[in-house]
Amino acid sequence: MRARLTSIVLSISLCLLGSSCKHDSKSEAGGSASAALADSAGAAAGKTVNIWWAQWAPADGLQQLSQEYEQQSGVAVRVHQIPWSSYQDQVFLNFGNKVTSFDIVVGDSQWLGRGATGKLYLDLTDWLPTVVDVKTIQPQALRYLCEYPAGSSHYYAAPGETDAVGFAYRKDWFDDPKEQAAFKAKYKRDLAVPDTWEEFKDIAEYFTQPQNKRYGTALLTGRGYDALAMGFQPFLWEFGGSWGDPVSFKTKGLVDNAGAVEGLTFMKSLLKFAPNDGPNMDYGKTLEAFTSGSTAMAMNYFAFYPTIVKSLGDKAGFFVMPSHNGKRFSSLGGQGMSISNKVSPEQQKLAKDFIAWFLKRETQEKWTKKEAGFTANSEILNSAAFKQATPYNAPFAQSMNFIQDFWNVPAYNELLAAAEQRLGEALDGVKTPKEALEAISTEHDRIFKEAGLAK
Amino acid sequence: MKKESPLLKVGFVAPTLLFLITFNLYPLLYNIVLSFTNKQLSQDEYEFIGGHNYQAIFDAASNPKFGQALRTTAEFVLFAVSLELVLGFCLALCMQAKFRGKPLVLTLLLMPMMLSPAVMGLFWNLILSAHNGILNQVLGGAGLPTPHWLTEPSLKLCAVLLVDVWMWTPYMMLIALAGLNAIPGYIYEAAEIDRASRFTVFRRITLPMCAPLLLLAVLFRATDALKQFDLVMALTGPNDTSTQTLSALLYQLTFANQKVGLGSAYACIVLVLVIALATVFTRYLDWLATKRQGA
Repeated sequence: MRARLTSIVLSISLCLLGSSCKHDSKSEAGGSASAALADSAGAAAGKTVNIWWAQWAPADGLQQLSQEYEQQSGVAVRVHQIPWSSYQDQVFLNFGNKVTSFDIVVGDSQWLGRGATGKLYLDLTDWLPTVVDVKTIQPQALRYLCEYPAGSSHYYAAPGETDAVGFAYRKDWFDDPKEQAAFKAKYKRDLAVPDTWEEFKDIAEYFTQPQNKRYGTALLTGRGYDALAMGFQPFLWEFGGSWGDPVSFKTKGLVDNAGAVEGLTFMKSLLKFAPNDGPNMDYGKTLEAFTSGSTAMAMNYFAFYPTIVKSLGDKAGFFVMPSHNGKRFSSLGGQGMSISNKVSPEQQKLAKDFIAWFLKRETQEKWTKKEAGFTANSEILNSAAFKQATPYNAPFAQSMNFIQDFWNVPAYNELLAAAEQRLGEALDGVKTPKEALEAISTEHDRIFKEAGLAK
Repeated sequence: MKKESPLLKVGFVAPTLLFLITFNLYPLLYNIVLSFTNKQLSQDEYEFIGGHNYQAIFDAASNPKFGQALRTTAEFVLFAVSLELVLGFCLALCMQAKFRGKPLVLTLLLMPMMLSPAVMGLFWNLILSAHNGILNQVLGGAGLPTPHWLTEPSLKLCAVLLVDVWMWTPYMMLIALAGLNAIPGYIYEAAEIDRASRFTVFRRITLPMCAPLLLLAVLFRATDALKQFDLVMALTGPNDTSTQTLSALLYQLTFANQKVGLGSAYACIVLVLVIALATVFTRYLDWLATKRQGA
């Protein structure tokens, strides 16, 4: 009886094990069959370039564009899209493995330092100039998306998607004769796209009519990843502050100087004209506030503006960041294409071949036809054809001339988290702008010292 | 009677043991090891740095975040569990009554706890939006104030509490209801014969007889609330000082700041806190049981 019972249990276990193995192999077979159907001849030959990028329209565009490459070269290109909220975590978690799941990562500009110094990104210094004339790359894009340290001519990425922060505005409201007359009566000047922050503030104030569910402006103030820092940067730089000295890494007297305090105070004062969630709006919420028809002017990255055109058509217009005392800056966006150091030389070669194809002038022209496919090619950027292609291309091309970036040193993530937290406290009224900026300075100094960058 | 086969015993226990070792014991031990290293998320090489991570956590001067997160977590646990206990028990008392449609009401009341906290957090993010959230539209329509739930610093933690209470009060209710239904009817009959007042019946019979089960529910909820992460993540994000619980800070350090070693040290501290709380409660429950047996 005992032996029979034991044999029954063992038989059942073996059957279960067998069926699960059978199921696994079946599903694997099914998966590979569907993959084989989806892949071209190149994929069948086993040659595939895996790209990781965030989940958004430009990644769809890259996938579409890469089909042409697949037809030409026989090498399949797969663009794996990861939601923005977990993109950074997923990429760096994957870099913790011996071999990464991707050959190319389209990484944020701030990641460059970590990628370069941590030997995660392949050094492209010798290779990049052989496939593209670096003089044709927009200088700011080259500096912030490809080089580490900035200005060193050491390349760890090829320009992928370029981007900048700008404004979308309700063109139909601005063009309305009634609004124009009422605005002129109140402010003694024409209602037009603002050139300075002072003009911007007047317009935001004018359109703020909560009783009609209309608000003046939505700014980038979200605390999740980098929205607040990106939204604050233009105010910081234009009013006379900076994140710190890029050589000595000292921040005292720079990030918390009188200009920086004035900039943050001014930014906070604009939140009076924002929708009720104004002090905490990330990229999505800012976009939603504008497309829902409640906001006159919304700050965001240009790559999000195709959504606005789809939703509002010619009711929407676009303009560059306003200036202050003759100074105009915008936060850099976009990502460079970096090759993983943790894949085989064969895969690195395939990745290089794809990037070389992507950087060709004719490919870049096709890239600009894709949704939010913003190029770093100066010749294309400055061409009339590009500027007239969409309502946001001209202000985008103009913005590329005055973009700057946050720190891109290896400890960028800690610097960013500290900045987001303290700036948030200033907007919430927990700290005064001066206290918040002093706290950022103290924390950034500590982080730079711990990272061995500052003495 | 035949003796049982040792092989059979091992056969039955082994899968569970294997599962526990793979998914509980190994990660726990690995986490403890990592807490003594400088491991970073993107680097596979790391060095042992002794107790430096723990020293950094407890150094209040250079790291006020730990104290702040601990305070926020304590406030959250205290208010969330207290509110859920009181409301859950009151609801259970109401649900003891017989009325038409009781199964439907009970099902509706239990629904929130059956939903995913992450999904509910995202939904509540929309509901609580001060700009176009449905809650403020209802409040505004009724002529009531429309607070900025997710942007006003003093209200952010309240918003997280509100959602947590909404989600987990049914859990307390369910356990309290089980406790109430387990009280034998003859005890109430005896109290009625003795002409005991309703308050006396509640104080001397209902509450004491329900207490052990309620305390068990408090233990489960408190240990769960100590680890609060999903609602904070969905409602205000992990980097907001007003709502940064220990788990949110742990996430921020491990994934955003990529300091896996330091994050592991935080995880160990959270674990110790949960174990300490659980031990205190179980000891108290044991003491209650012993006292009852003595009586």
